Amino acid sequence: MSPAGKVLPEEAFAAALASVPVMGPATLRTLLATDTPSAAWSRGSFEGDVARIWQRHEEKGIEVCWRGGPVYPRRLMDDPEAPAVLFCQGDPTAINRHPTVAIVGTRSPTRYGIGVAAQFGADLAAVGVSIVSGLALGIDGAAHEGATAAGAPPIAVVAGGLDDPYPRRHARLWARVAEQGAVYSESPAGVRTEKWRFPVRNRLLAMLSDVVVVVESRHRGGSMYTVAAAAQRGIPVGAVPGSIRSPTSEGTNSLLADGCFPVCTVADVLTALSLQGMVLPALPSPTGAGGGSVPTGPAGLSQADRALFELLSHDPTSLDQLVRLTGLELPALCGGLERLSQAGMAHDVGGWWERA
Amino acid sequence: MSSAARIRPKGPQGRLGSSLDLAIAVGVLVATNQLPPSCTDGLSFCGELGLNGSLRHVPGMIALADATAPLGMVVPLCDVREAALVRGDEAHGVSSLADLTEILRDRTEWPAMPPPGALPPLPDTPDLADVKGQPVGRHALEVAAAGRHHLLMVGPPGSGKTMLAERLPGLLPPLTLEESLTVTRVHSAAGCVLSDGALVSQPPFRAPHHRASIVALVGGGSWSLRPGEISLATHGVLFLDEMGEFPVTALEALRQPLEEGVIRVSRAGGTVTFPARFLLVAAMNPCPCGEGVFPGSCRCSDAERARYTRRLSAPLLDRFDLVVPLSRPDPAALLDAAPGGSTAASAARVAAARQMAAARPAGREAPMHPDAARLLALKLRDGALTARGLHKVSRVARTVADLMGVERVSEEHVSDALCLRTARATVAP
Repeated sequence: MSPAGKVLPEEAFAAALASVPVMGPATLRTLLATDTPSAAWSRGSFEGDVARIWQRHEEKGIEVCWRGGPVYPRRLMDDPEAPAVLFCQGDPTAINRHPTVAIVGTRSPTRYGIGVAAQFGADLAAVGVSIVSGLALGIDGAAHEGATAAGAPPIAVVAGGLDDPYPRRHARLWARVAEQGAVYSESPAGVRTEKWRFPVRNRLLAMLSDVVVVVESRHRGGSMYTVAAAAQRGIPVGAVPGSIRSPTSEGTNSLLADGCFPVCTVADVLTALSLQGMVLPALPSPTGAGGGSVPTGPAGLSQADRALFELLSHDPTSLDQLVRLTGLELPALCGGLERLSQAGMAHDVGGWWERA
Repeated sequence: MSSAARIRPKGPQGRLGSSLDLAIAVGVLVATNQLPPSCTDGLSFCGELGLNGSLRHVPGMIALADATAPLGMVVPLCDVREAALVRGDEAHGVSSLADLTEILRDRTEWPAMPPPGALPPLPDTPDLADVKGQPVGRHALEVAAAGRHHLLMVGPPGSGKTMLAERLPGLLPPLTLEESLTVTRVHSAAGCVLSDGALVSQPPFRAPHHRASIVALVGGGSWSLRPGEISLATHGVLFLDEMGEFPVTALEALRQPLEEGVIRVSRAGGTVTFPARFLLVAAMNPCPCGEGVFPGSCRCSDAERARYTRRLSAPLLDRFDLVVPLSRPDPAALLDAAPGGSTAASAARVAAARQMAAARPAGREAPMHPDAARLLALKLRDGALTARGLHKVSRVARTVADLMGVERVSEEHVSDALCLRTARATVAP
């Protein structure tokens, strides 16, 4: 089975078992419940080149964690639905050292959502909380952008094989997360990211987290899988309140109605983590993005510009609406908006204006 | 007695059509001594002959009248107003071959020019007063009309993009005689039904559908080279609704005419140059689902959006000085807004602005306030503007100042020009 003169480790057989085309997560779990990977491999008389599969993982620096192995995440041991074999890029023990908070949400967020995710990611990481997220576009990426700045090791959970970063646009962020913390996947190297793997990924994400925070989500967004998996396991779920007019806050607002705890500041998350008693190193006064104080801007701002600023909100307002509200001619209005944006008090999103 | 005539070689632009029927018939009549040869002196003949001897319409009469020697010209009665545009009194209309032989033999008077009113007048262009709210859209139309800036409107379905575009020709000044003749020539060559009095005097508005073929857009054809939609829009407006749905090849074919004002159509049989100096107005949804302008309300996947915006190449997008975000008017605005300004009011402002621009000595830089220059420099340094973008923004700012009747470009004019291109971020590939 193995090439003469070379003894393959258990991890090689675990990887090979996970790479068998017909192998589902449940079968894999049953096989490894009683046997070691090598025993399960020979008993099942599977076909496949274990040495080559192992070589592929070793070359890419992919660790294989199997239930019973030394680097399998401790928090997964008691979960009956946990995957029996996990692949990891980075440090597989990083997840055992810090409390973990998942920050998840939609792939097409508003600027508000991106800002909140990045801020919570950075602030939580700075006080020693590992941020768990899915490296997807939008909220996930923003959370990790914040979390990789400094602090506790970031943890990512992805759907496809670890040798092929997806989405491509996050390849750099992916590498940074793997370097500072760990990127996990249930898929062996060489497996393409397929649709059905995302819900599975979202469940694993919940399993690895102590608290789940949803920043922005539509009614039936993928984050809801994470929420459901967390709820099943009694993991507290928090949601960031959003505008009732914003479709990207439909999901989060209805989560709040369903009894999830509201997340307005980092302290809300820390409370949920029961970490309030911890000595928090130099956390800036806990102002969430939502409760932020109104920037006053430079003193040189004219009365008219200040009035214009008062009309802007954190929801984008169209130029047409602003014309109607102010009664100004367009050149005058645009001039005011330009001055506000130079003062860092407003910015435009594809032609809509909101407070910075 | 029967005769057959055969014309060789074919013209370089393909088949000449039946416009020489009349000339051949007169030639045969002279050759068979049914008409004295001297009676055709100083006359050229052009027209299609029906089987009953009636003279029928020939497309492109104005161009034919241009091309014939400066003689008296005999044409079908229905085409005489058109021929008279360039030939004046020398154009004579007759209704049948029998009438013509009578006139030539007996030297009687030519029939009088038919009075106007024979053809239905063109429908009126719709008025801007029908548009409620939409201050940004209206402003963009005025800027586009005053400075001849190509305009791209980006907005969800129902934001009034088409409604606004249809009203743009009304803002343009009436055509000069020179322009009218060019437009009429093109329309005539394309075989369009011309308005009463033959001369096209209002700026044309052409709105080809996004499934139109490239040949229909830029001109061509296998039998004879005909002008396409972009030439028919000369001195008027070419409106591309749903620009995101046009084939990439069709959009790219617009780049050369946008640059040079003419389109060269080449076929095996020869090359023709048609005029194509139009104001390009395009409308598109920000993404396939149409909702993307309002941040966070789009339901498209990232890949879908990328595919949609990839159709617009950066060089094509660069041709638009104005890339304006439009939004659906909120119900309050629709209900309480006083009727918007009329086309006449806007057209007057546009005319004044154009006059102001024309009065400036050509090639002289328009004066700019130091604050305006400082703002532009700041944007350039930030990377918010490229050098090309800077040039465009200052041109648009100049137009805004002209519209307000101000000689000096101020910071606010520049801000306005910047606001009028903010939707670029939404559709840039």
